[in-house]
Amino acid sequence: MSVLHLIKSRKSKQLMTCSAALSEWLKEDAPVFGYLLKVLLASLFAMWLSLKFELDQPRTAMLTVAIVMQSRSGMVFAKSYYRLLGTLVGITVSLVLVALFAQERVLFLLSMALWIGLCTAGSMVYRNHQSYGFVLAGYTLCIVGLPAAISPELTFNIAVTRISEILIGLICATMVSDLVFPQRLWDVIQAKVRQRFSDFSDLLRTTAQSSASTKSSKQVLLRFIGDIYSLESFRASAIMENDGAKHNRIRISEMNKEFMAVATTFHALEELLRRQRNNGHPEVGASLATMYLQLSEAISLNGNSARNEQEAALVTNQLATFSNSFTQNMTFYRMQLPQNLSERELLDFETGAELLQRLAHELHAYAATYASINRSENKLSSSETLATPKLEMHFDAIAVALAGVRGTLTLGIMTALWLLTDWRSGIEAITIGVITSTLFATSPSPNKTIKQFMIGAIIGTVSAYICNFHLLTQAQGFWMLALAVTPTIIFATWLTTKPSIAVVGSGIFIVFLMHIGFNSTYNANPVTFLNDAIADLLAVLVSGVMYGLIDISSSQWSRRRIATTLRGLVVKACKSPLIMKRVQLENAAFDLVQRAGSAQRIAEEQDRLVIDWLLSTLEIGHAVIALRELKPEINHPYFSDLLLTSLEAIAVLHETPTEALRIKALHAIDNAIENLTLDISNDIAMPEAAHALRRQALSMLHFIHSALLDEESVLVTQEKI
Amino acid sequence: MPREIALLDALVPTLLFGFLAASCGSLIIDWLLTRYHLYRYIWYPALFRLAAFACMFALSGLWIY
Repeated sequence: MSVLHLIKSRKSKQLMTCSAALSEWLKEDAPVFGYLLKVLLASLFAMWLSLKFELDQPRTAMLTVAIVMQSRSGMVFAKSYYRLLGTLVGITVSLVLVALFAQERVLFLLSMALWIGLCTAGSMVYRNHQSYGFVLAGYTLCIVGLPAAISPELTFNIAVTRISEILIGLICATMVSDLVFPQRLWDVIQAKVRQRFSDFSDLLRTTAQSSASTKSSKQVLLRFIGDIYSLESFRASAIMENDGAKHNRIRISEMNKEFMAVATTFHALEELLRRQRNNGHPEVGASLATMYLQLSEAISLNGNSARNEQEAALVTNQLATFSNSFTQNMTFYRMQLPQNLSERELLDFETGAELLQRLAHELHAYAATYASINRSENKLSSSETLATPKLEMHFDAIAVALAGVRGTLTLGIMTALWLLTDWRSGIEAITIGVITSTLFATSPSPNKTIKQFMIGAIIGTVSAYICNFHLLTQAQGFWMLALAVTPTIIFATWLTTKPSIAVVGSGIFIVFLMHIGFNSTYNANPVTFLNDAIADLLAVLVSGVMYGLIDISSSQWSRRRIATTLRGLVVKACKSPLIMKRVQLENAAFDLVQRAGSAQRIAEEQDRLVIDWLLSTLEIGHAVIALRELKPEINHPYFSDLLLTSLEAIAVLHETPTEALRIKALHAIDNAIENLTLDISNDIAMPEAAHALRRQALSMLHFIHSALLDEESVLVTQEKI
Repeated sequence: MPREIALLDALVPTLLFGFLAASCGSLIIDWLLTRYHLYRYIWYPALFRLAAFACMFALSGLWIY
């Protein structure tokens, strides 16, 4: 009996581990496996179709599949759409150029270089798939325009074949990804939204509980910034899908904006508390920390973070209660402060309380939007639908121009080589050179990317050689052909599922499929193959050198430019005739840093400088905007004057950050604070509302003052570097 | 029906227009179904979309040939 029992229990234990392993496999590996299968299926299907239709180059269809395939259906749709658009535009331009300059090669190549430069610049301005569409419009010119220029009578055929092949590839890719194990983008979005909310609640709780200054919260904040943009890109692609995403599109966008506001206020509060701990009155710091702890309790349910929309609704209610009783609470804590506090220390407290209230308010809005996701009632009216909030574009014009110049120069070098040496594989080299020098312009560190691509290109060349001259020679019929190309496709796809080496995978794909030795018949030729392979590798090398020479992303110079532009935002916030919206400031600042890719390389000293400037900009910028928004409400000439001089001083400081100007700005703000305090205490007959407004302005001024005074601020450390 | 149509002096198969029309048709159906939340009643929306497209495309083919 007992033996039987033992066996049974052991068996159930084994079953337990088995099921645990199975569930882990289903969660981690099964999607990858399914994805491999999908890519293989789609590319073989594309190959079969193009062979069936006797198209010239089945490899273009397969390449299209390899490029647009992604694990989520919505992304595949979006990328397919832009690939189609880019190809159509590129082909139209090729036709126009061939019609205009087919006999005059210098003019032809010049206008081609111009077009490619423009397209690369366009790809820097736009994001994600749109950016890819621009790149494609550029390099299609090499693929279609160059062969067409050599034999103009075939232009139309070349163009039509290219379009048909790409269409076949797109149809196969979208069909397979939509029909076979479809992975909905909406699930990812939802998971991300939930994750972000609970992560942020966690962060808030830990910072509220631990009194020590946390260095890591900066990094978490940066991850959040990255999330904002990835969510935005998912949202843009999710339009192509047909479920929850469509109905919740506006809410997601709304939420992104609200989250940006929350993140900046959170950072400002963090900084304020840190300063308070370091050199403020301990009592003030303690009561602020208590209030902060209350907020962190309001955002959590029994010490945990909200994990889904229902829980978020509960949190929303808690936050509403917190906000409603906030003024009462604040008065209570204020009474408890010791009597002998100076005016400045009281101001410290008020500033902190003001920020806390703001944070609570914004958190409430954010949680409310989050809770409303998936609720079927359509509370957004059509007028709101029209004004869909969008992340705007902000970019560094010179960086964009340089990227364009880089693409153009690579083309120039390759064509010069081609024309001067009468190189047979010239077109191949130009094509690959242009593709590589434009495609990676938007990646956070192009130098690393191009190195990975080089490795991929080498592997791809080797496997194309094996495939062409050892496998294909023995292949009979479609299935043998499929068998010959399968290993490389699977291997390359597997590499692309690993984010850190994904580019190696795409390198293999591009080079392997460009060299694959068949169209409707076997036509590999070792001499041509070797020539082309050398041309490819040379072209990748040249564009690698170009990325090294025109290095926009990781040079000291470009970082300084970004820092200057960030400071320029504060200047603009101070001076622009129309009051800048808070969202505008956040948008512009985040976007600039995101594009520069500094957020991904926080470990490097130089990038940390950019991040410090970003945070300082947000901190001071939001206070400046709040002040300017208060100005018309207070509407007092004396106050306006004071404010104007302080803002002017801040703007001047941000134009050229020097110690002398910092002290000057501090003096100006000091003066304003003193006069305002006097004004408040003298004018007893002032109505309650006006009084409150003035105190608000005072606390904002005080916030800027203490931010400028901070010894750890980048405005101070700048001098020492 | 002629099997090929001269579009700007290039002979284009009429079926291509059938393809375009069927794509437009399926986009419209898709929009309608999403608009009125009708996808709830369909087990596998993607398959339904493909099938609807195939039906329309095949019909246009039958009509042409």
